[in-house]
Amino acid sequence: MTAFLINLATLAAISGILASTLNFIVGYAGIFSVAHAVFFGLGAYGGAQVALLLVPNPFLACLVAAVIAGGLSLCLALPALRVRGEYFVAASLGLQMVAATLFAELKPLTGGIGGLVGIPRPEILGTIVPVLPLALAALALILWATARLQRGTFGRTLQSIRDADSAAESLGKNVNAAKTLAVVFACAGAGVAGALYALHLSFINVESFTLDQSIQIMAMVIIGGAGTLWGPLVGAVLLLSLPAVISFIPFIPPTEVGAVQQIIYGTAMTLLMIFRPAGLLGDMSKGKSTA
Amino acid sequence: MLFLQLLLNGLQTGAIYALTAAGFALIFGATKIFHVAHGTAFTIAGYVFLFAWGAGWPSWLGVLASIAAAMVFGIVMERLVYRPIQRHEGSFFTVFVAAFGVSIVVQNIIGMIAGRGFATVDTPLSFSAEILPEIFVAPMLWISLATAGVLFVALTLFLTRHPAGVALRALAQNPDLIRTYGLSSNGLSVLAFAIGSALAAPAAIVTAMTTGLNEAIGHHVMLISIAATIVGGIGSLRGAALAGMMLGIAESLALTVVDTQWAEAVSFLVLFGFIIFRPAGIFGVTQTR
Repeated sequence: MTAFLINLATLAAISGILASTLNFIVGYAGIFSVAHAVFFGLGAYGGAQVALLLVPNPFLACLVAAVIAGGLSLCLALPALRVRGEYFVAASLGLQMVAATLFAELKPLTGGIGGLVGIPRPEILGTIVPVLPLALAALALILWATARLQRGTFGRTLQSIRDADSAAESLGKNVNAAKTLAVVFACAGAGVAGALYALHLSFINVESFTLDQSIQIMAMVIIGGAGTLWGPLVGAVLLLSLPAVISFIPFIPPTEVGAVQQIIYGTAMTLLMIFRPAGLLGDMSKGKSTA
Repeated sequence: MLFLQLLLNGLQTGAIYALTAAGFALIFGATKIFHVAHGTAFTIAGYVFLFAWGAGWPSWLGVLASIAAAMVFGIVMERLVYRPIQRHEGSFFTVFVAAFGVSIVVQNIIGMIAGRGFATVDTPLSFSAEILPEIFVAPMLWISLATAGVLFVALTLFLTRHPAGVALRALAQNPDLIRTYGLSSNGLSVLAFAIGSALAAPAAIVTAMTTGLNEAIGHHVMLISIAATIVGGIGSLRGAALAGMMLGIAESLALTVVDTQWAEAVSFLVLFGFIIFRPAGIFGVTQTR
């Protein structure tokens, strides 16, 4: 039971990182990316390769993951500078589909469909450490950074870009630089989450980095409340505990648990958008411009 | 010879893509709603036909049932999901998430009822015959090309000649002026959803008879429709249909260079290129978005 709870807590912390970093670009900068799982995946493969080929040092794995995901996030920043709204969603959908194919096909780097197996446990100074404290520390760091950035000049600039980018530009804000920085920060965070995920499970494959995963992260942000600090975290915990709760309901056959879970969160997404578009923790008056 | 064979296969895929993309483009052009559940209308239509076929209904009845199911789905989406959201002035992203939620729900319900994995309708129409040395063509190719052609001509005539069609084009250009002329923009947007969704049904039936359906095919259809609409130029039906055809052919011809699993990626590389270098698409007017 404790092992089950520790596993759930670790996955919740990792999802919390993913949801918080996605919220940073969706909620504050108005960049609606449905390609977050791509950067989660890049980090996971990067971190896993560091652990497999070099040393299973979690800090090095996270650093490499953040550099790879942050660097390649320019693929997402480029369309974000060019287009907005539906066009950007379409571009990020395209990026997600191409990346999933790449993950499945680049066998030397990603192990193909079979994935990477036997990723060593993380070690610090020769002792094996569990991933949970590392994930919690990373989550705390990202929440702290988000809160700081949100209140500072950078966050204000982003919010002004979200609401009216030409107005922000006319006030002398460098819109392109701010958007790019926001995307790099968010994607590097997703990369760290990926490295922790790989070290925690010791096994990764492309299944975890597909469009479904991107939509699930998006659902966490939307259900919790985009543009709030704690909303995405609440959404992550809710969506992750859903399968556990469903498996305790006796009349659902175990083979259908996944489908029932998806139906519940699909319904929740639709109903929330109709009746409470700002999410559970969102401010209704502000929500209209945010979500 | 391989090239010609792939070109013919591409034409068939392209006809399917052109029909679904034209439906999506019609809805998006007239109502400005980014209908990401369009692929779901396709899935529902396909499975209704599959069940009708399985139950031994005559095929014309199955076709009618499938078209009706797609239309009902489109109208229900407009009335129960998009209308309430637009009433409180939700942004495009609210609409996107709500529609995506619906598509997840329908996909899983279909998976639970019909079972997961590919299902096909077996018909002699999809048996290939050798028409030229090493070129195999099934009657379905001609049927799907003819269907796409006839429907597209009918749609063009409707939009240019029929008063309701002209009103739909007017709605696309200036919704406020429509109201000034005493036309109901609500009624017209229901009409756009009905016609747009109905266009997905023939494509779904052709797919069910050839490559087969699975419960997740709606995602793929939706993505292709979005890609074709953007590549063709938002607001241009002709552009969307042409781009759908081009994407189908490109996916097929790409097989001379790469393996099958890359086919979908080809479409998205084209889309990505257009978004970065020519966001207005082939026929689109440059808009600031």
